[in-house]
Amino acid sequence: MELLEYQAKELFKMVDIPILPSQTIKDSRTIKQLQIPYPVVLKSQVRSGGRGKAGGIKFVANTIDAIAAARTIFNLSILGEYPQVILAEAHYNTEREFFLAIVLDYDLQCPVLLGSACGGMNVNSLLANLQQVVIDDEFSLFYARRLAASMGLSGQLICSVSEIIAKMYRLFQEKDLDLIEINPLGVNKNGELMALDGKITINDHALGRQPIIATLNFPQDQVKNALDRPNWHWLDWQNKSGKIAVVCSSFDLALLSWDLLNQNRLSPACGITIDHNFVDLESRSQFYRDSLQQILAELESIEGLKAVLINIWESEAINGEIIETIADYIRATQESNLLSQQEETDYNSDRSQTLPKFILRILKGENFSNLKIEENMYLSSSLEDSIDKAIAVVKSS
Amino acid sequence: MNLPPDIYYSNLDDSFATIRPLEFDLPDYLPVNYSNFMNWSSPNKVIIQGITELEAAFYAVQMKTYGTEVIAGVSPGRGGTKVEDIPVFDLVEQVLTITDKIDTSLIFVPPYQVLDAVKEAIATGIRRVIILTSNIAPLDTIEIIKHAQAHNTLILGPGSDGITLPDQVWLGRLQPHFYQPGNIGSISTSRDLSYEVAAELNQAGMGQSIVVGLGNDHIIGSNLLQWLSILEEDPQTDAIIFIGERIKQTEEILAHCRDAGCHKPIIAYVAGLKTPQERIFRDAVTIISNHLSASIPVASQERRIINKLKKVGVRVAKRPSEIPSLLSEMLHSNKI
Repeated sequence: MELLEYQAKELFKMVDIPILPSQTIKDSRTIKQLQIPYPVVLKSQVRSGGRGKAGGIKFVANTIDAIAAARTIFNLSILGEYPQVILAEAHYNTEREFFLAIVLDYDLQCPVLLGSACGGMNVNSLLANLQQVVIDDEFSLFYARRLAASMGLSGQLICSVSEIIAKMYRLFQEKDLDLIEINPLGVNKNGELMALDGKITINDHALGRQPIIATLNFPQDQVKNALDRPNWHWLDWQNKSGKIAVVCSSFDLALLSWDLLNQNRLSPACGITIDHNFVDLESRSQFYRDSLQQILAELESIEGLKAVLINIWESEAINGEIIETIADYIRATQESNLLSQQEETDYNSDRSQTLPKFILRILKGENFSNLKIEENMYLSSSLEDSIDKAIAVVKSS
Repeated sequence: MNLPPDIYYSNLDDSFATIRPLEFDLPDYLPVNYSNFMNWSSPNKVIIQGITELEAAFYAVQMKTYGTEVIAGVSPGRGGTKVEDIPVFDLVEQVLTITDKIDTSLIFVPPYQVLDAVKEAIATGIRRVIILTSNIAPLDTIEIIKHAQAHNTLILGPGSDGITLPDQVWLGRLQPHFYQPGNIGSISTSRDLSYEVAAELNQAGMGQSIVVGLGNDHIIGSNLLQWLSILEEDPQTDAIIFIGERIKQTEEILAHCRDAGCHKPIIAYVAGLKTPQERIFRDAVTIISNHLSASIPVASQERRIINKLKKVGVRVAKRPSEIPSLLSEMLHSNKI
């Protein structure tokens, strides 16, 4: 979960990383009660990068300017994100700006210190001067000095910058971070350091053991979204001209089905995965029944759907449940279609649902042949056979 | 959203295309200890840490019925109870009161307890640990790997589906009835894809010598590279299949062929090569570049990697149904 600047700075404060006096503003009118002496910097609190260039940062010299600027910032979306909070901060005169970060490197399986003597908004020169030090053992201050030296720093700065890195590392370890970044770390003419902007990402898998989340004053849905894992969800695959919906019991199966359809030049309309970790038969079959009913209802809103490809690896008992759930759905839809046709003969209009073909790829069991199958259903235990069927349905329509 | 899979946009020049070279050095932690990796069939005394978790209890009973030597479960605070007829202890070391040696531990405890559970297993002298729990906080995983390395312990996972030797031993979630015995070694990061491939092999009358679930966390213990070199040595295995979801994973096959040379036929199958997937950035510089500027130039490496794989003799299957014929072709020419 990515923290906003003011939340990140609260963490900086805990480990004595120097930050400027600041105040959060949730309403442009409350800016009159600002405790910080002018001039002040107002900063939009959004996650997207590039807010400076987009106009999300404004310097103001008095209250009147501040109110106007705050209004503008609240109404300015940055890459589609409106701020809920503005951070008002004292102004700082920098002579130089550095970039510092610690990131978890998944290939190397350890944290890496990153630093650039060209911090700030110019990403190209920042990256061109980026240095890194790999922490493949216990952290010790000399790693930080090594980074500072490779950044080309000299004199007292080597020590003061590495002290900051050590503090960042402490947060990184204690708070289970994926990433901590100070950009820029401002240096004034006396060589004093100030974290002017910062980013922190807490690893999602560690959120549950970081009580800090509760104290950081997060909007509730932000935490909830990060912790909640829905039972079934849409994949990010919408294709308006697609005619096949893919429903699978795991993301990997969805990948596979998508791939096989794509090899035949068909792009599915949408993808849905059903995730669960129930082990006992009863809750599992209940779960599949409930989710499938919801999914089938949702699929009605997709126009032009010709086929629903369902690929689920389950035991025989569950497979039977799945077949029944779909057969029930087909029967119910046909009945309500019939009713609405009778009602509406006078108006010469037809609001009835056209049912897509349901292609079920499930492993056939011994009792497979006893199951009642509707006309709109097709069962197969072969993946490629099911894919071929789905393609045939679409092509024939 | 339909991402054009081969093109990613950039508003930056390519000078900092800081993608790590293809053949990066993998962390060389675990000295490959052949006996830790192989000999999974009996005698292999197994305990299950977290056995009172619903999922663990379910699999424990099934594994035991299948013939795996599940001698005990561990669940702090539940000592003295039983799961079916499997005795439960509070501590791993208490299991040593009913046996002289534990070979393998399967860990099912909740994510935040995994690090502690692994340390307890290692302290009791267990040298093979399979972590079935997934979504472990990465700093914990790093500590687990370091600790295991210091104690010459094999870690499979986190997020592993376990190991199955069809008709011999079942350790984890890979249901043995979807497989049949044979001479193909299967290494995978996905249970369902492993089943799909097995279904095709079964139909062609081919079977598996061993099925390994590597684990789907971003950081895992024993990796593809190590398992490849193990299966190269394994007399029961004549050919190896890797089944994955991302082309990047197959770089370890390249590293294997470069370092050890591949002698047995290797087939790679990656599902969803063209499927829009969330890109995962793994190395620090790419992560930070992407963070600073949402669009960095990541040229798709797909074609490059596939060409390299072909060059070293690895066949890349386009779909599961192609695998049996590729296999018999390769096995046949290997004999000549």
